[in-house]
Amino acid sequence: MKILVVEDELKTGNYLQQGLTEAGFVVDLARNGVDGLHQARTESYDLVILDVMLPGLDGWGVLRAMREEGRSMPVLFLTAKGQVEDRVKGLEQGADDYLVKPFAFAELLARVRTLLRRGRVSEPEVLRVADIELDLLRRRVHRAGKRIDLTAKEFLLLELLMRRHDEVLPRSLIASQVWDMNFDSDTNVIEVAVRRLRAKIDDGYKVKLINTVRGMGYVLETPGPD
Amino acid sequence: MRLRSLTLRLTLLFWIASTVVLVALGYLVSRSVQMHFLEIDRDELLGKVALVRHTLAKIETVDEFAAMPGRMDDALIGHPHLGVRLSSPDGALLYASPNVSFPDADFPLRLAEDQQSPPSIATWRHGDHYFRGTMASVPTAFAGMPRANVAVAVSINHHIAFLDTFKHSLWLTIALSALLTGVLGWIAARRGLRPISDLTAVARNISASRLHDRLQVDTLPVELTALALAFNDMLSRLEDSFRRLSDFSSDLAHEFKTPLSNMMMQSEVALSKSRSEEDYRETLYSGLEECDRLARTVSDMLFLAKADHGQVVPTIEIIDLATEVQELFEFYDAFVEERGVTLARQGSGVVHGDRLMLRRAISNLLSNAVAHTAPGGQITVSLTSTTADVITLAVENPGPSIPSEHLPRLFDRFYRVDPARQRSRGGVGLGLAITKSIVTAHGGAMSVSSDHGITRFEMTLPARTRPGS
Repeated sequence: MKILVVEDELKTGNYLQQGLTEAGFVVDLARNGVDGLHQARTESYDLVILDVMLPGLDGWGVLRAMREEGRSMPVLFLTAKGQVEDRVKGLEQGADDYLVKPFAFAELLARVRTLLRRGRVSEPEVLRVADIELDLLRRRVHRAGKRIDLTAKEFLLLELLMRRHDEVLPRSLIASQVWDMNFDSDTNVIEVAVRRLRAKIDDGYKVKLINTVRGMGYVLETPGPD
Repeated sequence: MRLRSLTLRLTLLFWIASTVVLVALGYLVSRSVQMHFLEIDRDELLGKVALVRHTLAKIETVDEFAAMPGRMDDALIGHPHLGVRLSSPDGALLYASPNVSFPDADFPLRLAEDQQSPPSIATWRHGDHYFRGTMASVPTAFAGMPRANVAVAVSINHHIAFLDTFKHSLWLTIALSALLTGVLGWIAARRGLRPISDLTAVARNISASRLHDRLQVDTLPVELTALALAFNDMLSRLEDSFRRLSDFSSDLAHEFKTPLSNMMMQSEVALSKSRSEEDYRETLYSGLEECDRLARTVSDMLFLAKADHGQVVPTIEIIDLATEVQELFEFYDAFVEERGVTLARQGSGVVHGDRLMLRRAISNLLSNAVAHTAPGGQITVSLTSTTADVITLAVENPGPSIPSEHLPRLFDRFYRVDPARQRSRGGVGLGLAITKSIVTAHGGAMSVSSDHGITRFEMTLPARTRPGS
């Protein structure tokens, strides 16, 4: 998976490149809009991460030129401007997602993966991670062959963690995907919900699958070969 | 033309008014003096006519008639300003005194049949002299000529001279008076408008650091009292806003400084000597938490700043509040269960608004209520429509009453009832402020009450009737 990052801020660009590379992507970095557009024209990318305020040619300009040339790879905007009208403008001009600075890297990673996953749907009826089996049709969960009773929301939460296993899911993403709460709640509602799910899934088993990544979120990890 | 200066405008208006009055007065005075002289002259002329009539009444014989011019001359001795002319009814000149010539138009030698006394009076000029004269038909005692036409003229030079002097000084006085009233008017206007310049001086001295200054209302003219009161009110509002803003700035600085200094300190301590990998990880995690707090504060602040400028435009959709509350209950389900608190909902209501924002507003009230409810307590969310166009959503929780002095300020940014407990929870004290902004953006209002161990937050929202009902 090849990603182009167009970002003029030195540190932001470097850390984006490092973080995404370590997450397993091939990342090219352009420092301004003109270079970015040139890169996008000459190579093929699976995703472009575009800053809005860029020297030379701004993010809107880069996106417009790309779309006019018929390049349809997904574009994720990064911007310090969080106004509703900016968001609408970005999406209307063909951006696929929009992230307002400051953002959590885990959030960016989650959105990048969502964008890259789009269009490659092969909906399985049963999700399997390690020894957990989640039957989407019958709404049943088994671990190591033993039935586990979950509430509807716990089921949704587990489904999300399993679909995105090995990805760190930020609290805001979990709140949005499971409860449709699209704002930051300052209470530790998600923490409690995950803790309760973990009690049902992991208690009594030697391998703990659901883990907290401090300061970032939660991950359902496939155990290593050892 | 638009006059920019109020003083000039008042002066001009005052000057125009007084000048009009003065000119009218001058005209009336000079006209009545003129009429008065005319009256005097008429009396004198009629007296002279009587004199001539008297002289003619004595002529009875032809000799006497022939001697008439001589007698007339004798009679006129001592009256140098008097002129007399006699003519017979058929127009023959009988006598004319030497010092006057009568204009033909007004004084024909032959008088018309119907032209008897009292005659009209005419004024004319002969050489350097002005005359005023009249003409009458006078009976005589002489049988050969029963009537004679008498023209009498008096010199009015002294009247004319007096009138000229009089008018001259009159109009000069009027002109000077007009000038004087103009100047006095200007002074009066300036003095009268002085309270305005005083007002200006006070206003000029008011700055952000001297907002406590107020105008002295009791010394001001009534016309300016309302203005001054409005001005003082504005100052009070400004002072209040400034106070809040400055409180807010220091709170904000504190909110930013605390995590920043934590991060700086822990980074410096971590780098001061070589540490284990676990220690470094711990430092980074801790930094991440501080960043998270900072980022949340910034985005909350941004939301409030936009709300302050009316930029928060809710997307309008129909929202069933009961459903929203139910979904929030599900969201909080595990959380409240762990805290041993229960949630209950009553009533229903439908409003127009932005789902995300209203959820956030209600969520803030709920998390606030959960935080202040002891285990075993029940939080009740009730939806009522007291009047047809208002829906009230109330969140009630049992808990220690909030002292009443705190209630009006609960929705202020960063306000906390107990400053010591400030960072014990995740929030920084913006939740209720955000809730209020959201409700205000929806055209609603927030209120809070707390007594007898029950704290009740209320949001009133403009109701919309259920579609199709």
